[in-house]
Amino acid sequence: MSKLPLAGQTSAVVVVKAASYSKDLADAMLRGILECELDVAGKTVLLKPNFVEFDPNTCINTDVAVVATALEVFRSLGAAEVKIGEGPGHRRDTLAIAELTRYRSEIPSFDEVFVDLNRDDVSGVKGFAGRDEFYFPNSVLSADIIVSLAKMKTHHWAGATLSMKNFFGLVPGSIYGWPKNELHYIGIDTAIAELTREFGPKSFALVDGIVGMEGNGPIQGTRKQAGVLVMGSDLAAVDATCCRIMGIDPARLAYLQKAADQLGVIEESRIEQRGEAIAGLRTNFELIKEFSHLRSA
Amino acid sequence: MAGLIPDSKSYLGARLAVLRSTQNSDGGWGYFAGKSSWLEPTAYAALALAGEPAADRAWKLLSSWQLPDGSWKPSAEVQVSSWGTSLCATIAMVRNEWGQPLENGVKWLVGSRGVESNWLNVTAARLRLVKQERDVSLKCWPWKPGNSGWVEPTVHALVALKQASAKLSSSELRSRVQMGEAQLVDVRSRDGGWNYGSPAALGVDLPSYPETTALALVALQGRNDLSNDLGKAFDLARRQMGETPSPMARAWLTIAMRLHGVKPEELSGDPQSDLMITGLEALAAPEGNYRCMQTAGALRE
Repeated sequence: MSKLPLAGQTSAVVVVKAASYSKDLADAMLRGILECELDVAGKTVLLKPNFVEFDPNTCINTDVAVVATALEVFRSLGAAEVKIGEGPGHRRDTLAIAELTRYRSEIPSFDEVFVDLNRDDVSGVKGFAGRDEFYFPNSVLSADIIVSLAKMKTHHWAGATLSMKNFFGLVPGSIYGWPKNELHYIGIDTAIAELTREFGPKSFALVDGIVGMEGNGPIQGTRKQAGVLVMGSDLAAVDATCCRIMGIDPARLAYLQKAADQLGVIEESRIEQRGEAIAGLRTNFELIKEFSHLRSA
Repeated sequence: MAGLIPDSKSYLGARLAVLRSTQNSDGGWGYFAGKSSWLEPTAYAALALAGEPAADRAWKLLSSWQLPDGSWKPSAEVQVSSWGTSLCATIAMVRNEWGQPLENGVKWLVGSRGVESNWLNVTAARLRLVKQERDVSLKCWPWKPGNSGWVEPTVHALVALKQASAKLSSSELRSRVQMGEAQLVDVRSRDGGWNYGSPAALGVDLPSYPETTALALVALQGRNDLSNDLGKAFDLARRQMGETPSPMARAWLTIAMRLHGVKPEELSGDPQSDLMITGLEALAAPEGNYRCMQTAGALRE
C-alpha cells in the first residue's frame, strides 16, 4: 500500500460524485479505488463503518448501501477475505444497532461476515498513546487492510468526524467501556492521531459524504447532502479534503494539526486531487458555535 | 439455586443447554462460542447456572483472575482492573463465600470512583466556574480506573455493595451506596429513563435507552420513597420493551420488572449466538436466577 509521504511528497485523494445511494454506487466506488491504485488482491480486508448509535430522524451511520457495496467491490477486487467490524461507542447490543441501521437485513449473510469489535478477543500493543499496554481486537490487528468507511459529519468535541475519528470504534468496549472513555482522557485529538499512527499505515479511507451530518454531530445533527465519496490511502489527506468540501479549514482542526506531516499531509498543495475537482463541490456544513472558528475563508 | 433441570425445549431450558454446551475448557465463556473466556459472559452464565458443576468451574476460573488490589481483570489476557469486579462479588455472595477475596473486592469497589468527582472538578462546580450536566460531587463508578463514572458500572457496583452490606457493612459502604443511588437519580433523562451516563450533552437533552433504564431500575430496588416517581420509568420500560430490537435490552427490562414485582411480558424465541445475551435471558426467565440481582431491603438489615 502507498503509505505516509516523505517530506515534499504528495498524497493522492480521489473525490467521486455520487448523488444518491443508487445502483451506480458500485461503479463510483470501484472507479475511485482503482484511481487510488489500491491493491487488495489476496489480502484480508476489514471494513469499518460507523454505526456508533442509531436515530431514525437523522443520518448517524455510514449508509447501508455504502457498506454493502464496499463488501461486493472489495471481494470483486480479489480480496482473500472481507469482514465488517465495528465497536459502537454508546450501545451495548451491537447487533441490535446493526438491525436498526438495516445492515442485518440488507447485507447478505451479515452475521457471518460481521465482527463485534467491542467483544472480540484482544491482544496488547505496547506504547499506544504512552500507555504501557493498550488492547485492540485481534480482527483489527490481523487484518491486512482496514477500510475506514466513515460518515462525513461534524462532531461536537472534535469539530469533524471523518476517516480518522472513525477509528474510535476499533477500541474494545469490553475493556474500555461504553463510551470508550479512556480515549477522552488520552485527549480526543491525541487519541485520533494515535489511532492513525497505529493503524493508518495499513488503512484506506472511504468516506460516505453522499448525505452527511451538519450542526450538533455526530449524533444529534441534521442531514446535509454533499453528494460525494472521498477516498485515499493517506487518511489525513482524505480528512483534509473532506473538510474543504464541508467548508472547514483543515489547518484549524486540532487533530489534523497533530497529524500534519507526521501521519499524512493536509496542505492542499501536497494533495494530488484525482476525480472531481473540489472547488465546485464545497457545501458549507453548519458548525456549532464552539467550532465556528473552523470555517474556512 | 438450581432446582429441577428445566426441559431443554423451554425458554430457560434451551438457554441453559446452550450455556452448558459452550463452556470453554478453562471453565469460562467467550462472548461467542469458540472464543476466549471473558469475565462478563462467564459471570452471567455462572449466575444462570448457579448450583451446577459448570458454575463451580466458572468460579474457579474467575477466582484466578482476581488481582492483588482486590479487583478482577476482564480476561486472562488483559491486565486491567474491571467494573466486572462487581459481578464477581455478586457471584461470591450467591455462593455464600464471604471470605477474604470478597472482602478485598468489596473494599476495592468502595474505593473506586469516576475521576470526574475529583476535588478540583467538585470545587469548580460549586463555585460555578464550569457548567456541569450532572452533579459531580455524587461519586459513581467507572468501567475502569482513571475514567468517568457511567450508569452501567454504577448499577452493578450498587447491586454488589447493597448485597455485601448484609455482612460487610461500614459507614463508608453505606455512604457510597446512598451517594450512588442519588447519582443515578441525578442523571435521569428528562423522559423518565436513563441514558448511558448523562441526561444531556452540551445542553441538549439525551434520550433514554432501554438497557440503561432497566439497569438503573435494578439498582434502585428497595427505594420505596421513589416508587411513585419510578412509575414513569416503568411506563417507559413497557413501551421500550415493545419497541427495542435488542434481546439484551429486553432481558434487562424483564429482570428489572421482576425484581420490582412488576409482571413483564414473557420473553420468547430461540437463543442467540451471543452467549452474554443467552446468559442474561436465562437469568430473566420466570424460573431463572434473576434474584441473584435482588437487593431490596439489604441496607435496612
